[in-house]
Amino acid sequence: MNATETNLSKEEELAKAKRINQIRTYLPIVGLVAIFCLFIFLTNGEMIAPKNLILLLNQIYVVMISAMGVFFIMTMGGLDFSQGSILGISSIVICILSPHGIALAIFGGIVAGACIGAVNAYFHVCRKIASFIVTICTMFLFRGFIKYFASDSPVRASMTVYDYDRIELKLACTVAIVLVGFLVFRYTPFGTYLKAIGSGERGAMFAGIRTDRMKFFIYTLAGALTGFAAFLNIVKNGSATANVGNQLETQILIALVLGGMPISGGAKVRFSNIIVGSLLFYVLYSGLTMIGLSPQTLQLIEGVIFLIFVAVFADRKALKVIK
Amino acid sequence: MSEVRLQIQHLSKSFGITKAVRDVSFNVSKGEVHALIGENGSGKSTLTNMLTGIYTIDSGKFILDGKEVHPKNQVEANNEGISIIVQELGTLSGLTVAENIFLGHEERFVKYGIKNTREMNRQANELLKQYDFSHIRAEEQIDEYNFEDRKLIEIIKATYFNPKIVVIDETTTALSQEGREELYKQMNRIREAGNSVIFISHDLAEVLDKSDSITIMRDGSYIDTVRSSDVTEDDLKRLMVGREVSGDYYRTDYGEKVSDEVVLSVDDVSVPGLLHDISFNLHKGEILGFGGLSESGMHEVGKAVFGASYGRTGKVTLADGTEINNISSAINHSIAYTSKDRDNESLILNQSIEDNITLPSLNDLAGPLKSLSDKKLRTFAEKYAKQMSVKMQDVDQFVSDLSGGNKQKVVLARWIGKGSDILVLDSPTRGIDIKVKQDIYQLMNRMRQNNKSIIMISEELMELIGMCDRIIIMKDGAINGELTRSKELNENMLISKMV
Repeated sequence: MNATETNLSKEEELAKAKRINQIRTYLPIVGLVAIFCLFIFLTNGEMIAPKNLILLLNQIYVVMISAMGVFFIMTMGGLDFSQGSILGISSIVICILSPHGIALAIFGGIVAGACIGAVNAYFHVCRKIASFIVTICTMFLFRGFIKYFASDSPVRASMTVYDYDRIELKLACTVAIVLVGFLVFRYTPFGTYLKAIGSGERGAMFAGIRTDRMKFFIYTLAGALTGFAAFLNIVKNGSATANVGNQLETQILIALVLGGMPISGGAKVRFSNIIVGSLLFYVLYSGLTMIGLSPQTLQLIEGVIFLIFVAVFADRKALKVIK
Repeated sequence: MSEVRLQIQHLSKSFGITKAVRDVSFNVSKGEVHALIGENGSGKSTLTNMLTGIYTIDSGKFILDGKEVHPKNQVEANNEGISIIVQELGTLSGLTVAENIFLGHEERFVKYGIKNTREMNRQANELLKQYDFSHIRAEEQIDEYNFEDRKLIEIIKATYFNPKIVVIDETTTALSQEGREELYKQMNRIREAGNSVIFISHDLAEVLDKSDSITIMRDGSYIDTVRSSDVTEDDLKRLMVGREVSGDYYRTDYGEKVSDEVVLSVDDVSVPGLLHDISFNLHKGEILGFGGLSESGMHEVGKAVFGASYGRTGKVTLADGTEINNISSAINHSIAYTSKDRDNESLILNQSIEDNITLPSLNDLAGPLKSLSDKKLRTFAEKYAKQMSVKMQDVDQFVSDLSGGNKQKVVLARWIGKGSDILVLDSPTRGIDIKVKQDIYQLMNRMRQNNKSIIMISEELMELIGMCDRIIIMKDGAINGELTRSKELNENMLISKMV
């Protein structure tokens, strides 16, 4: 270790770190506003037509709620690729249970999601397997189940679910969940503990944080959140097809990164990453669709933007193997 | 004066606006161990890093045997006859011992583009035999070996090609007594072969004992070069700090009676492979020392008391009968712990000073519904950082930017803030310069007077003798003797129980 060097280049480094931090904070917000304005202009105001705004909102609910769970996981330095499959399984469970009462259906969806989250947690925490490996495995595994259940014909929910397809209900649920998440993350020890685990798990353990218990809880919570998001998904679609939840995991990941989330988690994450990221992702997505780009071109553009943002926001000092 | 091996002429190096090394000139002779000392940040490492090609030179030059050298990287430096052994681990995991020894010099074994691994292993094994490290096998993965053995492998890597100059950068702080002896032996061998050692160390007794001449640096400038035989430790301290070191270093009291009140008792504690049946009591207001070789299990004692050992059996009990079985119960019952592995276990490097200080106290600081107020956290962090006089811009600064001594101050600030009554300090002054060391000793003394109890685990025998009321010596995972504070205690009395 070289004390001299670290001491002496400190001021410069601090100034640089501050600049990068500022970019990390403001670029996504500025980007969101700029892109929104750009698309309003490009679509001659179509973008903010009420029906399009509602469509936009409709897409955002699921991703924003699921992204919150993944945000907690990524803050601890982990990754989760299984959210799409969790959404799928929970959607199927909700459809099957919906004739027996909506409360039971919601509960079932949450439990199903939490169970898959707990499977992830068990293999990651107790069997010490890297989270991205575990969750890629469960992604394939449960995607298989979804295909099995929904390939021949979509699993249909009872017609009563459409009663809940009301914008104010969906918006209220999303806002409530995100608000509670924000308060707990920002104003209780919970958030600091997660960041501490992400920045240095051993150090966190020696400061008295029950790291294993915490990790188990968070993976399960992330599953449960997506389980609830599945309800909003079914309310909108009325049935679960074999493709339900496809690519949700990548959408979440891109949304968080667009929101300025450092991929290695740790001290520099901000809760706003979730909100700004989800909005940015869908404004971009629907904007590009509206100006008539094909899905293939869309995916290409998504990929390029994703790479650029990862490169800008990577916290190279903290960059290590993701847990 | 013997022949000159290396001339350092008007060397300067800046990082941005700050000058790390300012116009430094001195000579290193053939066949000498030349110590380079100075406080943290005095420019020692920057200087040697330029010599070994890790940093570029701003101005000035190195003249080795009459020829100017300016290596661009460590391999080039090796080819010029310069090598370095660093403080932390310099070996790469995932490679074999042989691959580590010959790293950067693989071309010696390559024929027609194919590497002859067998020949490489054979030569490495021969070297291991030559150096008397036959318990290490060249074919094995380096990860099979512990810190000490990996250091020995680094010694071979840095010296097997008979370099003219070997830089040893604070290597001894990380080594146990036996590892140090091995290093001293190799230093002697290099010196007797007519080559030179540049020896960087914070341990002044060691510097006086092992070096022929000593160059002192302060704030990037050259201060003086002296013969080791002409100076005392106090002279060196004065030259390093630039003023008289005032106040006491270690404790000066002797014969004070320690309270009989037991605050913590350890009964028949064992940890598989590390500790066997350890029992002892810690009293109120006592500083209890643990000494031994680094593999003696003494570091595990600290972890066991803190509830951080895997598979521990036996009991750790507080005065009120509470049993300590995991880290959070230890912390909640007023036990604090500073690890030997400061960067990974005591701190979270990539977090702010504020986060590091407040982390164990968050639950205490939380209001109704576990809510935290930013202002309260900041005041708390600022108060204890200030109390420990941590040198920083503000508490938002990341801990990774701080020097070793300041990092340790942050660790201590955290536990003082938590108000812990029992402190387990493992190697509290490891790699820390004199001024901060003195601060830590004085703090320990004050805590003792305030009836806090301290377990101090250390590989520095002098600080154990200077600070502790009792010293327990460990050997092979068991207690091998106990010594009581007295003026007559000396290092040999401790060593005789250690080996």
